[in-house]
Amino acid sequence: MLARNAQALYWLGRYLERADHVCRVLQLQVAALVDKPADEIEFGWRRIYFGLKRLPPGGLLSHSRDELTLADSFTLAGDLTFEPSNPDSLRNCFDIARENARQMRHCISTEMWLSLNRSYLEFKPLDLPDIWKSSPEEFYADATRDFRAFFGIAEATMYRDAGWDFLLLGRMIERTQLSISLLAGHDAAAEDDQDTRESDLISLLRIFHAMEIYTRKDGSEFTHDAAFAILATDEFLPSSVIASCEAVAVSLSRIDPGPEPVCSGALRSAGRLRSLVANELPDAEDQSVVLAEAEAECRSLHDILHAGYFEYPATNPPIG
Amino acid sequence: MQPLDFKDYQLDNFVYDEMFEADGSARRPFAPLNDLLANMPTETAVEIQDRVTASFRKEGIAFTVYEADKSEERMIPVDCVPRLMSAVEWDLIEAGLRQRLKALNLFLDDVYNSLKSVSDGVIPADMVFDCPQYRSQLRGFTPPRGTWVAVGGVDIIRASDGFKVLEDNLRVPSGVSYMLANRAAIKSVFRRLFRDCRVRDIENYGQELLRTLIELSPGGRDKPVVAVLTPGIYNSAFYEHMFLAREMGAHLVEGQDLVVRDDFVYMRTASGLRLVDVIYRRLDDDFLDPEAFRPDSMLGIPGIMRAYLKGNITIANAPGTGVADDKGVYAYVPDLIRYFLSEEPILDNVETKLCRNPEELEYTLDNIDNLVIKKVGESGGYGMLIGPHATQEERDEFAQAVKANPADYISQPVLQLSRAPCLIDGKPEPRHVDLRPFVLTGTETRIVPGAFCRVALRRGSLVVNSSQGGGGKDFWVLDN
Repeated sequence: MLARNAQALYWLGRYLERADHVCRVLQLQVAALVDKPADEIEFGWRRIYFGLKRLPPGGLLSHSRDELTLADSFTLAGDLTFEPSNPDSLRNCFDIARENARQMRHCISTEMWLSLNRSYLEFKPLDLPDIWKSSPEEFYADATRDFRAFFGIAEATMYRDAGWDFLLLGRMIERTQLSISLLAGHDAAAEDDQDTRESDLISLLRIFHAMEIYTRKDGSEFTHDAAFAILATDEFLPSSVIASCEAVAVSLSRIDPGPEPVCSGALRSAGRLRSLVANELPDAEDQSVVLAEAEAECRSLHDILHAGYFEYPATNPPIG
Repeated sequence: MQPLDFKDYQLDNFVYDEMFEADGSARRPFAPLNDLLANMPTETAVEIQDRVTASFRKEGIAFTVYEADKSEERMIPVDCVPRLMSAVEWDLIEAGLRQRLKALNLFLDDVYNSLKSVSDGVIPADMVFDCPQYRSQLRGFTPPRGTWVAVGGVDIIRASDGFKVLEDNLRVPSGVSYMLANRAAIKSVFRRLFRDCRVRDIENYGQELLRTLIELSPGGRDKPVVAVLTPGIYNSAFYEHMFLAREMGAHLVEGQDLVVRDDFVYMRTASGLRLVDVIYRRLDDDFLDPEAFRPDSMLGIPGIMRAYLKGNITIANAPGTGVADDKGVYAYVPDLIRYFLSEEPILDNVETKLCRNPEELEYTLDNIDNLVIKKVGESGGYGMLIGPHATQEERDEFAQAVKANPADYISQPVLQLSRAPCLIDGKPEPRHVDLRPFVLTGTETRIVPGAFCRVALRRGSLVVNSSQGGGGKDFWVLDN
């Protein structure tokens, strides 16, 4: 697998996961617009923007809800969905992912390309008013379904060479980072509020598809610690942080050691990440510190991969 | 519902129509297609055309035009009505192609080695050495198996007096992906007709290309590593490069993916540097190696020519093949066939006047109203004047340019390319067409029975190039 192709597949996985994440949080947020009280809606926006580390249009994101009231939900949804200057907007993620796939068509299956291209062609002509006037939550739900269908098709059709591993690795590193960031965003947004509302925890659980499992395990009392315990460390929840960490480690272990002794470095980094989430986070006095460390570890792992597999010096000795 | 209306379909005594005889009856190979179309409701035909276009869009068969702040994906239009050809006619073309490419490969080996064709006066020395595509770096070199042109694309037209070669494309001929994409799209919309017509298969092109490239690999290596070298996504033919890499299961590399170490070529894989044996390059000579050719090339691989000349890698097509598809050298190809093969050419050239010769210059200028004048270094339908279609001002301008640099121009009669029916705005209309079949040369010559059939979609236009309003259509060689 060419290093450039491996890199493109890695980023394909990252961008599609990011697009999926944006759609998922927006799906629940725009659904909340229908029947939830204003302060809960505001909390949702703050959590999203903190989680994505982005300033909302029209104001600085401070720990004051007033700033967010400067922009209405339509504007905020537009910013996250279609805004060209937002590198993490759904449109940009989709554009880049599809362009990567277009260049990598010889590395992915025909079915993967056709699935992604079809979704892209449907999405391309849309603008916010188009989706807003009917059912925006349905639009985001459909988009999420398309992204997941893509990975399902990949699972069924993609050849299991290094390309597959890099695609999954990118997806899982992105998921890990976004999940950690969302948990941190939740806590940061909650700091603004005097009382932690149960409804905010419920919406967080829903983003992770964890509502049912929570009630099954912990009943109808919603507490921050119990919710975080599931979202961060429940290995059986596919979207939990620890499950993503495990998936990162599995992908890494399958990848050829590479031109430099990077694999061990990457595995060590993934191990540290896992340890932070599994061992230190649950008992931490200040969880935000551990979450910040875990985010930094994700970035570090990314840098190791980049330097070791994608852009290593051409002076390395040949193999084979 | 009204069937497709052929009553306004114009036949011309001076232009060969691929589908219809002069009396309006369908030619024999076309009879089943004619029966189908004559009974097909217009709405159905339009729906079929829409489906074909949509399938191209769905598959992403497009080229991207990048501008400063935006990019746009464009498609080469495809017409849904296939062009058919009998096996007898195709066999003639195939034999002619084999002969032509064999002679051209021998010619290339000669001009870079013994130069007998020059010393024996078959072709003037300056025609070879003054050609910008002649690469002195290749003097004394013979590529593996003596194959200079591994992939040749030859443009063939049918004039009123038979098939003629319009142009040889011996550097990086493109269009084969459209040949295959057109086939895939049309086969799925004319399933029954396709089966009934017993169309010869072309789907093995990718495997045949791979076999050819492997045959040309430097000797002694098991399972040679084959890569397609592309200039990158900004190249208008990127889709084709990617398509061919996928068909062959080869790596699709850019210059930045390759490094030369100790005169061997390696590609940067995620596992480290890996040796490459064969490069099917889709990059012009000029950009291939900044050490050997253009020093400002950002697309090439420094040192690859050193590796090539030492026999450590195969580059297909070989650098320097452009001297044989020069528009001036073209005029000598029939003589080169006679010289190298002692055979009469099976496929004729278009009669060509070289303006470098005073009497032919005079003839060209005297008859500019009725001639096509081409600049030898140009391609893609650019640098060309079609006398009868040009304004007086354009003709005067071109005449001045020809007088100033006569050696840069050739002239040819305006040939009426044959026409074939196309579905234009829901109606069948005749449009001029040509063919670009592809010839693969390894230890043996392989030709899949098909071609990229180009169509001049603008009414009356003779220019089939996609950059100038041309499109494509599927081309069926019938088994019997």
